[in-house]
Amino acid sequence: MSDWENVPASELQEQKIQESDPALESVSENSSRAPINPLDAPVIVLEHVSKEYDGTTENHALTDVSFSVKKGEFVFIVGPSGSGKSTMIRLMMKEISPTEGRIYVAGKDLAKLRKRQVCKYRRSIGIVFQDFRLLQDRNVYENVAFAQQVVGAPKRRIPKEVSKMLNLVGLSGKYKNRPTELSGGEQQRVALARALVNNPMILLADEPTGNLDPQNSWEIMNLLEEINRRGTTVVVVTHNREIVDRMQKRVISVQSGVIVEDKKGGYGHE
Amino acid sequence: MNSFGSFAYCFHQGIKNIRRNKLFSIASVATMTACLFLFGIMYFILINVQYMLLEAETNVGVTVFFDEGIEDEQIANLKQRIEAMEAVRSVVYKSAAQTWEEYKETHLTDELAETFGTDNPLEDSASFSIFFESVEEQTETVAQIAMLPGIRKVNDTEDMVNTLTRLNRILSIGSVIIIGLLLCIATFLISTTVTMGVSIRRKEISIMHLIGATDIFIRAPFLVEGVIIGLLGACIPLSILYALYYKIIELIASKFSSLFSTLNFVNTSEVFQVLAPVSLCIGVGIGFLGSYFTLNKQLRNFRQL
Ligand SMILES: Nc1ncnc2c1ncn2[C@@H]1O[C@H](COP(=O)(O)OP(=O)(O)OP(=O)(O)O)[C@@H](O)[C@H]1O
Ligand SMILES: [Mg+2]
Repeated sequence: MSDWENVPASELQEQKIQESDPALESVSENSSRAPINPLDAPVIVLEHVSKEYDGTTENHALTDVSFSVKKGEFVFIVGPSGSGKSTMIRLMMKEISPTEGRIYVAGKDLAKLRKRQVCKYRRSIGIVFQDFRLLQDRNVYENVAFAQQVVGAPKRRIPKEVSKMLNLVGLSGKYKNRPTELSGGEQQRVALARALVNNPMILLADEPTGNLDPQNSWEIMNLLEEINRRGTTVVVVTHNREIVDRMQKRVISVQSGVIVEDKKGGYGHE
Repeated sequence: MNSFGSFAYCFHQGIKNIRRNKLFSIASVATMTACLFLFGIMYFILINVQYMLLEAETNVGVTVFFDEGIEDEQIANLKQRIEAMEAVRSVVYKSAAQTWEEYKETHLTDELAETFGTDNPLEDSASFSIFFESVEEQTETVAQIAMLPGIRKVNDTEDMVNTLTRLNRILSIGSVIIIGLLLCIATFLISTTVTMGVSIRRKEISIMHLIGATDIFIRAPFLVEGVIIGLLGACIPLSILYALYYKIIELIASKFSSLFSTLNFVNTSEVFQVLAPVSLCIGVGIGFLGSYFTLNKQLRNFRQL
């Protein structure tokens, strides 16, 4: 069985790279990057990506963005509102397609994925949306369990996994509540639990602490770091300068759709 | 993929869909029920008429009676001549005494029969029952037989056969039209039910897509919804029809008593051997296909970039 969702993130990585995707090879030839070392392979590659939402060329959400994220890396994406951070996340999960440029994840050209493969791909990544996107007619438990049902997890394993996850984000007391009965921060944590419950190989989180107080924000960040330590590649969009400065990870700064800085350390200029 | 878990999940969601969309679901089930109920009644009539036709063809034939005071020898002679005719399969002689015995048995109580003593009120009712190879050749041959000397009267079954055949045809055409119309309405209602369901869950469906739910996973609850509606819409009329088969068919027979000369109907199990699977197929098929094609149309907007 080669379903992505059933293969542990670490194994999957090597398997995909060894498949020697022709698309990936041609990319490495054309670009100036060094030959790919399987242990140091980029999981996410953006190549000269531009995105214009309405087709008007002067209003680019993203312009010629290139970067790559290595397997097991922890990356912050920071920048002012409207700079294109969410657009990047949406491109990486193939919610939208780039106007120009290419995106590879785990050696696959996202533009070439067929419909079924898109489903599989999305199941192999965990996503926290900026606006949560919880199912309004289902309670907290069902929202998290839903992610497990989607990947076809065995029925008897679901309750255990879900309650473990709800414990982790500190919501086990509210598993029966509907999203409308939760605070913004609580909804955010449900979204995080849903993103993590399937043990994704990549976690894309758009402002996962946007609605949380400093105390809760730190707990979530520590959780993300723990997930990252276990092998999941983590990309976090955030505004929280304090957290970014303290955690000393790689930081990609965007402004008006252009990467202005990409280095390890703090929030940087602005 | 744990397919049973997924199936259970989809089934549960399908039930949930129906509950959330109660009014349309009930309307769909009701229309389907009406449609298949009517279908059942049409089928009852058709199969019984057909049965009678078959009986007429093979069992009834024609009955001829003889001139009064005819000699036994003449009767034997007639028998030979009729049997020699090409279209005739067999000729059975029934004496007046036999006819009376049978009549007493089937139509009179013992006490009433006693009152006749040894008299035979049907003295001149000795007869031939003539059976033909098929109904088509009957008319001509009957005319020939009527011309033979010594024949008083021919009781022809052709009128009945003709009427039945005509009735059969009218019923077939009529039922096809009515049922077709009702099926269209049922399909439309199921389609509307699913459309409503999709529009209620529009946001949900897009979220499902975004976290990687397959098309089948998203569709299955709606398909289950359609199939359950179809299943209910088939099972309800079938159980009513099953319980009331003889009542219904006798009621119809009494309304058209001139046609239904016998009260000899096709038995229930034989009727439902065909009616049950056909109704279930129609119900479930319409439920499934109606839902499927509506989903094709409705979910096209969700196809990802
Ligand atoms: N669906 C859309 N249609 C048209 N323009 C859009 C759409 N989504 C975003 N944009 C535009 O693209 C640009 C980048 O938006 P994006 O959502 O990526 O910003 P962001 O960095 O996530 O901002 P924030 O920090 O406020 O979430 C903005 O100028 C925005 O107006
Ligand atoms: Mg954003």
